[in-house]
Amino acid sequence: MEKSTITLITSLVMITLFTIAIIGFCVGFANDNDAYFSITDDPELSSLNTETSSGISDFKDDAEGTYSSIIDTTIAPESGAAQSTGPFALTPGNVISVTKNIVYLPYEKIFGGDTGDNGFKIFFTTFTAFLVFISGLLIYKALRGNP
Amino acid sequence: MIFLDYLYTLPNATEGIDSIVNQMTIGSDFYWIVPMFLFFTFLIVFIGGITRQRVKTGTADYSAWAIIASMATLLPALLFSVSAGYIRLDWLIIVVALNILSAVWFFLDKKVSEV
Repeated sequence: MEKSTITLITSLVMITLFTIAIIGFCVGFANDNDAYFSITDDPELSSLNTETSSGISDFKDDAEGTYSSIIDTTIAPESGAAQSTGPFALTPGNVISVTKNIVYLPYEKIFGGDTGDNGFKIFFTTFTAFLVFISGLLIYKALRGNP
Repeated sequence: MIFLDYLYTLPNATEGIDSIVNQMTIGSDFYWIVPMFLFFTFLIVFIGGITRQRVKTGTADYSAWAIIASMATLLPALLFSVSAGYIRLDWLIIVVALNILSAVWFFLDKKVSEV
């Protein structure tokens, strides 16, 4: 696989793991010290926590299947490249949906979310769309050379 | 409550001062002192780190300093959340969101850093 594809997937997984770690630390701190406020009091952050954990566990399950389909890929001598995008597309697909959820939280909490006439919405919408677009380009490049 | 294995109950040496500070924060109109303190902590680590690294090496890892600064802000924010009156829930959530935003920046940064 293309080096930049591996870098992108690693980055997305690390963002997810960092989010789980920092939320887990905050929740653990609140529980241990019997804190007045806990970040689980906020419904959106609480749901992000469960969604991220379940999303990354989907990634964990699918990664093994993707791994075996990658090493099972056969390349016809005349074509020089794998024909199906399936083995490459599955794993990045999972992580990108999780990352889009994670990016949405700062947008919601710092920049005001969808309430009112929020001009900043276009930034995060474009940013997540860009991530998906770049991921598709990298997968294409890994399979068939420069698009 | 902190579960520590002491043989005796540790006295709270700052008991009166604690309650004075707490009541002043609750009673005062100037309740922005806590978010301003957190903002100060973030900027002192972020700008200070960038400046010192640039002086020493000629370049700076902006995203790495952003994540270090936001984590340095998260620790006092969590301490403030232990008792009532110091911090509001939405400020704490903003600090956590800032951590996540810095992590997105840091991990998607293509620049080769020293970290």
